[in-house]
Amino acid sequence: MGPSDSDLIDRWRGAPAPLLGLLHAFHDRDGHLSDEALRAVAEGLRVPLADLYGTVSFYHHFSRKSGGRDAPRVCDGPVCKQRGSDVLLAELEGATPMPCAGRCDEPIPVLRGGQVLVGTPGEGLRAAPTPLPPPNPAEGEECCFAHVREEGRSTLAGYGGAYRALARARELGPEALLEELDASGLAGRGGAGFPTARKWRAVREAPGGPKTVVCNADEGEPGCFKDRVLMDHDPHAVLEGMAVAAAATGATRGFVYLRYEYPHTQTVLERAIDEARDELDDFEVCVRRGAGAYICGEETSLLNSLEGAHPFPRNRPPFPVTHGFEQTPTVVNNVETLASVPPIVERGADWYAGLGLGEQRGTKIISLSGDVRRPGNYEVPLGFPLHQLLFDWAGGPEDGRELQAVTMAGLSGGFLGPDDFAATLDEPCLRSRGSFLGAGGVMVFDDRRDMVDVARQAMAFFADESCGKCFPCRIGTQRLTERLAGTAGPTAPDAWRKEVHAIGETMAQVSACGLGIAAPLITESLLRLFPERVDEALARR
Amino acid sequence: MTSPAEHRLLLDGESVSFREGETLFELARRHGDAVPSLCFDDRLEPLGACRLCVVEVEGQARPVASCTTQAADGMVVRTMTEALERHRKALCDLVVSENPAGATIDPLRGSASQELAALAVRYEADGGRFAGARSGASRTDDPNPMILRDYDHCISCYRCVRVCSEQQGDDAITVGGRGFATRITTEFEGPLADSACTFCGQCVQTCPTGALADRRALRHADAPGELAATRSVCPYCGVGCSLDILTKGERIVGVQPAFDGPANEGALCVKGQFAWEWVQHPDRLATPLVREDGELVEASWDEALDRAADGFREAARAHGREAVYAVASGRAPHESAYTIQKLVRTCFQSNHVDNCSRA
Ligand SMILES: Cc1cc2nc3c(=O)[nH]c(=O)nc-3n(C[C@H](O)[C@H](O)[C@H](O)COP(=O)(O)O)c2cc1C
Ligand code: SF4
Ligand code: SF4
Ligand code: SF4
Repeated sequence: MGPSDSDLIDRWRGAPAPLLGLLHAFHDRDGHLSDEALRAVAEGLRVPLADLYGTVSFYHHFSRKSGGRDAPRVCDGPVCKQRGSDVLLAELEGATPMPCAGRCDEPIPVLRGGQVLVGTPGEGLRAAPTPLPPPNPAEGEECCFAHVREEGRSTLAGYGGAYRALARARELGPEALLEELDASGLAGRGGAGFPTARKWRAVREAPGGPKTVVCNADEGEPGCFKDRVLMDHDPHAVLEGMAVAAAATGATRGFVYLRYEYPHTQTVLERAIDEARDELDDFEVCVRRGAGAYICGEETSLLNSLEGAHPFPRNRPPFPVTHGFEQTPTVVNNVETLASVPPIVERGADWYAGLGLGEQRGTKIISLSGDVRRPGNYEVPLGFPLHQLLFDWAGGPEDGRELQAVTMAGLSGGFLGPDDFAATLDEPCLRSRGSFLGAGGVMVFDDRRDMVDVARQAMAFFADESCGKCFPCRIGTQRLTERLAGTAGPTAPDAWRKEVHAIGETMAQVSACGLGIAAPLITESLLRLFPERVDEALARR
Repeated sequence: MTSPAEHRLLLDGESVSFREGETLFELARRHGDAVPSLCFDDRLEPLGACRLCVVEVEGQARPVASCTTQAADGMVVRTMTEALERHRKALCDLVVSENPAGATIDPLRGSASQELAALAVRYEADGGRFAGARSGASRTDDPNPMILRDYDHCISCYRCVRVCSEQQGDDAITVGGRGFATRITTEFEGPLADSACTFCGQCVQTCPTGALADRRALRHADAPGELAATRSVCPYCGVGCSLDILTKGERIVGVQPAFDGPANEGALCVKGQFAWEWVQHPDRLATPLVREDGELVEASWDEALDRAADGFREAARAHGREAVYAVASGRAPHESAYTIQKLVRTCFQSNHVDNCSRA
């Protein structure tokens, strides 16, 4: 016998951000969310039942069918598709597909109950630890990965026994700390690239409280698997980064919003939080696990999700720095951004800034996957040549193959082709080529791949993940998917292009959040790089 | 105290003043009312869903939704550029493509039911451009007699869900699923009668497509005659909600709330909204009846009134004038309610008069 309904409700009712935790508690206990469970939760937390029902139905992974929680979900992200996820799906009884689960440098991940296994068609499933990043090929200096490969690094003892950067941050005081951070040039590593010191200062200066630090560990962007490495192998760096943010802003509570597909990481983080109680002092950190929704990585949707509201993104302004979690001033930072903070505080702004190449300051982790010999996470200096990463560091394509395209920013930056491989990995350069670096996911496609179909999969992902709040994205992602798949829309090439451009332009210009704004980069870059492939696909219709 | 400084910005080249907290949408509406919207309802928190109300603000990388953007001093705002109108047409084509029948919707469905149809005309959207899968599925299985849930027409503006929560406080309906598959639903997908719905009809009256529709009114969709509206006040209780009685010829065909009604601002309850069909119900008495040997028989008005007067006179004589007590029916017109209190007060000289729906 598991805990009773009222045990669960009593455990969560008074906790911060209780809804997701309570729903997971019922989901884990019963193997699904029954009508009775939803009624009990609605009553226990005093939320309208219809609202709760709608919110639960938003998430992929909350199952309403008996046994649903433990049915296997097989990743069918772009890279797993290359590796035969369709076959694996057919092999596993009762399996359903799930979007990219953030393990593109491993065999195909399969989520079953509270565990992620990996497998290859015909070979069954096995448990596997999160791979460490490959040794730095240039033996260059790293920031986030400098110590990640050390044995035992995930324990406090392995981390050095104490939060030294935090101690130094407290010594410096908020003003000097913010100046140091500002001088380092650290900007958001979660996608939008907003200067971190400016964000923290805004929270520091915002009236009201209690202030909150949220670590965005949703890592939902297909082709991104860097945050998990940091959390699994260097969790104290992330926690210390949060604590420094709290010291700089005056925040007293923190959350790690962790994607559902990383169950093991929750254990690692919670153990680390326990170990670090003394270091964290009166800064309270809790882990909250998402339930399967890419949009919950968008910071305002994330905050709604934490609060238990329907996870539509919020209208801005006001921004989270003044009206974040429960309308209080809130820092939302990506895992990598936060993990960069302790080394910066310890070694200084000049050191960090100096790691970049040319005008660029600092480093960026690139999750590299797909058709290269050595996929994995690479920490590169900002301004590093893409060509060098693809061919020197990752070994280029298999013999006899040629690379025809890579994605940028996971999927959100669309495709770059061989002519773009001369680009450097930094926002100014990539933006000048109509793309962006974002969270740093790069998926590689060699000349075997059908790029029109890859684009279709990408757009289908955005359509599945569109929250449905705004018209251009809700309908536009659907229409673009149909046009790429050939299930609707014109077949004459000119008419097809005209429609696809028109839908894409309006989406990019007037969508309410980054998902709908970025999604048409897929179609636009496809048309720019592969016009003949598009014509061939249309001719087959 | 000094008066607050006047706030001004440049709207389509013209310097205009605005109130603290006013949104660009409200401002634009005061100056020409040409900026379209489908998800806006004055009474609700703006959602910024349809994006039709986008305007250009100098210094912003992309157009902004005017409904969620507050006016600020010195802003330079353009509401009608070629690019904006192109996006609006694209949005309109997109939304009509998921709901091609939206262009012909019976106005009896609800107060706001013509909004999409009107925009489709304005932007010449016929559903041909951007054609593809339709969204929404009508709930023909919901047997309630008042609200038609014809979600084939739904465009996911969420006005219904918001009005139910923000105005009505019932939280009976919600947004289920996500993306193109979002649907308006109750908990566990059940019929409205099993939900927290009070059948106030608020969702019906704010729906811009007629996807939620007044089933009672729709029974008269094919009745002959021009549709006319007569402003009145709901007789059922003391709140005094303003409403429009819809008629075709001599026949009442529906009730819609008055959005400028000072007491209700567009709200009604189930009685004001849906309880009007008795007016022309065949069971209603058409001639006076009097009792002869315990049997009710038809009589003339003169005879009936004489009989009633005799009865009252006798009661007052035998038991005193205070023995007479009148309760007016909430279903009677205001004129009758007025007359009955006049009767009690002047003829019986008492205050013993009340109305059934005073509580
Ligand atoms: C659709 C969408 C998904 C996003 N997903 C993530 C995510 O999974 N992780 C993340 O850190 N940021 C994500 N972001 C960016 C966040 O909104 C936000 O900018 C970021 O967490 C801020 O942290 P940073 O400044 O440290 O990058 C996403 C943005 C959008 C529009
Ligand atoms: S752009 Fe897409 S994901 Fe973002 S608010 Fe609009 S519908 Fe939701
Ligand atoms: S009729 Fe009223 S209570 Fe019922 S769903 Fe509509 S708005 Fe909510
Ligand atoms: S039913 Fe009507 S009001 Fe509700 S979301 Fe659909 S179109 Fe909007």
